[in-house]
This record gives sequence, C-alpha cells and structure tokens, in this order.
Amino acid sequence: MMAMPRLGHANLGLGVGLRSTHYGHILKEQPAVDWFEVISENYMDSQGRPRYVIEQIAERYPLVMHGVSLSIGSTDPLDRTYLSRLKGLAQAVKPKWISDHICWTGVAGRNTHDLLPIPFTEANLKHVVDRVKVVQDILERPFVLENPSTYVTFRGSTMSEWEFTSRLAEEADCGLLLDVNNVYVSSFNHDLDPIEFIRSLPHERIVQFHLAGHSTYPTHLIDTHDNHVIDPVWELYRLAHELTGGVSTLLEWDARIPPFEVVHAEVLKAKRHMRGLEHHPDRVVPTAHDAPSSKIAADAPRPGHHPVGKVLPSDVPHPLHHLTAEVE
Amino acid sequence: MSKGDAQPAPDLSLVQRWFQAVITHPDGLAAGEAASAAEQILPEAPGASRIDDLIAPSSKLSPHERLSVYASAFHARLVECLGETFPILKRTLGEDVFAGFAMGYLQAYPSKSYTLNELGTQFPRYLGESRPPREGEVPDWADFLIELATLEWTIEQVFDGPGIERTPTLTAERLASIEPSKWPTLRLQTAPCLRLLAFAFPVNDYFSAMRQDETAALDMPSPRESWLAVTRRDYVVRRIDLTQAQFAVLSSLQGGAAVEEAIAAADAWLPADDAALAGMIRAWFEQWSATGLFVDVIEA
Repeated sequence: MMAMPRLGHANLGLGVGLRSTHYGHILKEQPAVDWFEVISENYMDSQGRPRYVIEQIAERYPLVMHGVSLSIGSTDPLDRTYLSRLKGLAQAVKPKWISDHICWTGVAGRNTHDLLPIPFTEANLKHVVDRVKVVQDILERPFVLENPSTYVTFRGSTMSEWEFTSRLAEEADCGLLLDVNNVYVSSFNHDLDPIEFIRSLPHERIVQFHLAGHSTYPTHLIDTHDNHVIDPVWELYRLAHELTGGVSTLLEWDARIPPFEVVHAEVLKAKRHMRGLEHHPDRVVPTAHDAPSSKIAADAPRPGHHPVGKVLPSDVPHPLHHLTAEVE
Repeated sequence: MSKGDAQPAPDLSLVQRWFQAVITHPDGLAAGEAASAAEQILPEAPGASRIDDLIAPSSKLSPHERLSVYASAFHARLVECLGETFPILKRTLGEDVFAGFAMGYLQAYPSKSYTLNELGTQFPRYLGESRPPREGEVPDWADFLIELATLEWTIEQVFDGPGIERTPTLTAERLASIEPSKWPTLRLQTAPCLRLLAFAFPVNDYFSAMRQDETAALDMPSPRESWLAVTRRDYVVRRIDLTQAQFAVLSSLQGGAAVEEAIAAADAWLPADDAALAGMIRAWFEQWSATGLFVDVIEA
C-alpha cells in the first residue's frame, strides 16, 4: 500500500527551534509562529523554568520533540530510563511527533554528546531497524529520524547514505526528518551529489524539514547552526518541497543566536522559495561540486567562512544543548 | 537485554569502541589509536593504521584529517559546556588553564548521562582530588577554586531542580499565628531548592563582584569564613548571605531538628540575653518565611 504524503501527518507550516535565550520574548509577545520544536533533553528532567516554559508554549503552539541522545545506532542496550522520561515528557506536552538522529552518541556506557556516523552495511541497517521498532513500541507516538551532518565515511560501507536512510525508514516503518543543510554539508564533505541524495529518498515518508546555517572551510563544512541559511541550501529546499509537496519546516539556530525576530524571519524566507517554485519549476539546483568551490567561495568573505582548514574554538558543531542557569 | 532489543552487531560494537577511544583521547588521534590498540580494540598490524583501514578519504582530506573534526569537536563542545556551567571559575582561571582542568576532568569522569546538564556533576570533586597538597593549615588558592566551583554547580542544580513555584510556602502570617509555647517543638520543612553552603573564603562576594563587572580580573580574596543559602523563586536562583548562627539554625532545621534544637546548635554564636535572642530569632524566621525557605510547619 502506498504511504500517504507525510505519512498522513499535518504540515505544521514554518516553525522555529525553541531556545532559552528567546523564552522571555516568546512568553511576552506570543509571536505568530506556526509551531515550535524543542530539544527533548532540555525539558525531560527539568523541574525549573525550562519545564514551565515548555508547558506554556505547548498550550499555545503545536510542538514537536527533537532529541539528541537516543543513540539509536549504538551497540549499547537502549537506555530504558531515557526512553521512559522521553515518553513522560511527551505525555505532558503532547508533541505531534518525536524525532532524533540516525547516529550513535556513545558506547560502553559513555556519552560523547556528538552525533557519530554509522557504517552503512546490511548488518548495521538491521541493527538500527530492530531498535527503531522497539523505540516505537515504547513511545507509542509517531517517530521520525533525521539524517545528520557527518565528517567521515567508512571504507566498509556497502550502500549509500540515502539507500541506508530510505531502507531504514521503510523497514522500520518510521518517518524521516530531512535536514536539508545536513544533506548539503555531508554531500560536500563526502563528494556526494545532494540532488541525488534528496531525489533518492522515499518522499512520502518525509514529515519534516530542518534548515540551518553552517561554517565553511576550504576542505570541509561544519554544521554549526550559527548563521543564515545559504542560497544553495535554499535551492535544495526548493527541490525537497517540490518532491514532497511541502512538509513542516523548522529553522535551527544554536550558536551566536540573534534576536527572535531574526530567527523567525529566516524561516519565513521559505515562503519565497515555495512561491519561486511556481514561477521557476525548471530551476537548476546545485550539485556538491558547485559548493563551496564556486558558488559560496565567490561570496567570501562572509561570516562563517574560515580561511584555514582547522576547527576554530567558536565552531563547535551541533549539538551543543546546555541550558544556562538564571541567577540573581 | 530484554525481549525486543536488537542483538548488537559485533563488528559495529568494535568499530564504535575504537572510534570513541580514538576521538576522545586528550592527546589526539595517534595517541587514541595507540591506546585503543593497547586495549585490544581492533589492534592494527605492525606498520598499519586502523584509521586508514576504516575511514575513507575525501577528495580534500585524508582519513586522519577527517576524523580529527570529531576529535576537535568532542573536546571543544564539552569544554565549552563546562565553561557555561562554571563561568566565573573559567574567568578566574583564564581560558587555557580552565580548559586544562576541563580536559583532565573529562578523562577522569567521562560523561555517562544523556544530558549535558549533568556534565559538571563531579567537577568540584575532581578539583579536590587533583589539587596539590596544602602547605599548612591556612586555606589556599586550590580551596578557593573548589569552593567557587561548588557554588556554581549548586546554582546549576538549584536552577533546574525541584522548586516552590507551584507549591504553597509557609507564610510569615501562618508562623506568627502559632502560639509561642509551641515554638520549641515546631519542625519546619525547608524548601526543596534550599542549599546551605559554608566556605573558608568570601566566595559569594567574589562571585557577585565578578558578575557585576564582566571585565574584572579580581585577585583571589583572603580566607574569611562565609555562609550562604542558595534557593530559587520565580524560577530564578537567589543567593542569601548568612551569619554562622543562621547557617547553623537552618542546617539543623533542614536536617529535621525542632526549633529549640536548632537554636541550641547555634548557641555559641547567639546573644546570651533572652529578650535579645527572642527578637533576633523572630526576625530571622519572618525573613526566611517571606523568602520562601519553608514550605510547611509540623506542630508536635
């Protein structure tokens, strides 16, 4: 049976990732944002202001829970305590769906707090599929997985990332969160074609898009979420929008976070690209080889563009999700 | 493993243990590779590199260069997170010295929690364990740094821990309505967010001065005992300076003592004159109940 577009889930419109620096503004101004995505780990154990804020926001806006610590690809046993608390938060704030990343975050009881890559093999696919099924049974809510930005590939991989991602979604019967910026970053880092990546996915399983900015080095890109979305990523978004028919779109901004209005305005730019699609249906979208050697580098210098092939202290890749205490 | 969990793929398990050991080693990828070989995690043949065996190059970067993105990110992310948790300690030490302590801590106490909010749990303890021996009895700079870290970690815990925002607190009026004859046997339930700290240095004064001027580089204060209550109201952490007597009374009450016992515990620092003592105690309890330090009173 053919799956329905977005697996039947609603298109929530254009949303913003909730960040603590914007709490005061959002509660006071109640801006006209279509929906919010929250980082699950920042709220599931909170008994303070974060928990209060998420409950207030859940009353006023549609909400999605996005996690960074499920570690679905790890060979450690699933963390039942984590899943129980995740489910508890979901019961309290009633998200439209719960998402995390196709990655592992640690092994042997440790957590690196990074989204680490998985070799794309048949055995590893089965491993992840089996775990997704368990997670879905526990959470009893729609579950969605995101393609992460990655910085290495494994010689032992026997399939492409898009084949692994597509088969994972099909075989585990879960949704996909297509991070368009991650497609761009990983494609540049691994000499892949971002268009082939997006075209190859099961589009009816894509229930959400992510957009974000990244940092550019001559030799690689880093997913820092600290800047505006660049034009080539908007071009890929245009393609993804066309192929899916439009799905819930969310902007993430996690470092050097500007005022809320700036973040909101950034995601609203998506409207232009939806309208643009109607006017330019045959528009050419970028390939991995376009960027950043020609298109982006031509724009240099610009914020986030670094002339050296080394990670700067300020360029901590996503995720860095720690809530700073408010003290008088 | 319970029914329904996937069996781990053995190959993936080894690759993950190797990957983690290599990218988290404080001395870099080569040291990480050597350490993982020493632990017999995917040991490499003589002259071969597991990094080259397992990781593919890109058109622009070698396997080592690509993997180093993860190694740099691991340390940068967690050191930054610790810096956000201990901002005044970081400024006191300077960025490089703080990063050195943070790196040592991450090796001694690697994160086992799913949340970064727990990353600093053992940091004050680690500073205590790694401090140089004290010369003599006088508290030294290491004691000061440990106390500063303790204050900042307490603030972090109080901010996101249980609080009194959604529960009624004991009002000054309710306390005043209790007959004086019953006071000695009263037990007061303290707020779940209340933490009581005793320091060998004026840590809270230093913390306030550093926050007041974000560019200040203050000298370490001389030792002087100080006492502090850390609590939370309206979801914001509050700091209340205490005298030694107040600290003793509140600590006893928090431990479950009755009012009379709590006052006896502070006897050494209280006035001998009964009238003066009664007035002082009354004023303290009015102030503490108005500040929300108590949630309930239990009459014997």
